[in-house]
Amino acid sequence: MRPYLSRSPRGAATARVEIDAPATINAPLLGSLFRMLEEEQDRRWVVLDLGAARPQTIKLLGRYRCRLDIANLEEGIETLATASDSTETTDTVQSLLPSCGPEKTDITFCWDFLNYFERDALTSLMASIAARSRPGAFVHALIVYSENLMNDQPGKFVPVDEGCLLNEAKSAPSIVAPRYSTEDMNLCLPEFSIERARLLSNGMQEYLFRR
Amino acid sequence: MFELNKKDDAGNSAGNAATTTSETRKDQPRTQSGEIAVIGRSITIDGDLRGEENLRIEGDINGTIQLPNHNLTIGKEGRVKADAYAESVIVDGVVDGDLYGAECVSVRSTARVEGNIVASRVTLEEGAQFKGSIDMDPKNVDAALGNIRKEFASASGKPSLDASKNSAAGSKAPHAERPDRAPNRDLGKAPKAESAH
Repeated sequence: MRPYLSRSPRGAATARVEIDAPATINAPLLGSLFRMLEEEQDRRWVVLDLGAARPQTIKLLGRYRCRLDIANLEEGIETLATASDSTETTDTVQSLLPSCGPEKTDITFCWDFLNYFERDALTSLMASIAARSRPGAFVHALIVYSENLMNDQPGKFVPVDEGCLLNEAKSAPSIVAPRYSTEDMNLCLPEFSIERARLLSNGMQEYLFRR
Repeated sequence: MFELNKKDDAGNSAGNAATTTSETRKDQPRTQSGEIAVIGRSITIDGDLRGEENLRIEGDINGTIQLPNHNLTIGKEGRVKADAYAESVIVDGVVDGDLYGAECVSVRSTARVEGNIVASRVTLEEGAQFKGSIDMDPKNVDAALGNIRKEFASASGKPSLDASKNSAAGSKAPHAERPDRAPNRDLGKAPKAESAH
């Protein structure tokens, strides 16, 4: 019951990896979410970002009637690593997530985090997300898919515009990626169904889950 | 209120406030009298602050801060454990509490904020640390600040300066609908939010 933090058995491989300048990636499913926000301007939305508070995300969502909850799981991954069983994992996840109050979450941004949890922890995390999401709510996720290695910390993804993301993380890929498949996702996220999935230019799979 | 380390345009001040003069002039709009109250870094206040002028905090505040028609700056030395209501809020220091800004809340690069923010316009600089929720729904902002303005006006015996904006305020006392002060605050309960669900 630990986040996925195992090191590459062949660390030398990282020496050959060059750090590319941050590049924007088109994320069409994210674009479709923002089009939905645009089309329903009068509606109030509750958005949960599992990452840290980022100026670009706040600026972009400031265009809408919106509450943005910041979970900042980046700080909690190591804490989750010490959880000994599913109950402790669930308790830890609950303590990391901000209180949602009576308003259920409409959209959750889950950019790269799922790669850093083993299956049991991932299941506990997403069960907690499901519990605070309204029926029909969306989860937008990025999962490492075609690359064997990934960074030792989750990427720092920021929205450049409604359908474009930029990873501001500078480190080189250094640990083995779990490369979760759609079958893994279906097993670990039983409360959600895969609405759509797209392979992105950076080798990540973009998922839009729906509760 | 706010007579501590008060400055005037001539820059006449004493003690710690003198070190903040230039920043104050740059950051903070002036009141009509040209005065900005400054709470210096050696000052600690436990209790509720209410006022009708702009305020800069470099000291420690525990309680609540109500400047519904003026601007609040929490300087780099400022440590605030309070819910703060103001026309606009600028944070350079440390806040453990909820921030309500009728116009905007700016969290600058040196700031550490744990709490919720309710404001139509929120800016967060790179490097700033924030944990909580950000409510940018104008209706919720009006509801939250409207209550405070009404309470403030009745306490001071003056009519509310912005009564027309306070359509969603209702008649309840603001504290009755404020989020609780627990670490994971329940922002959803704060104002009378209109929910689509």
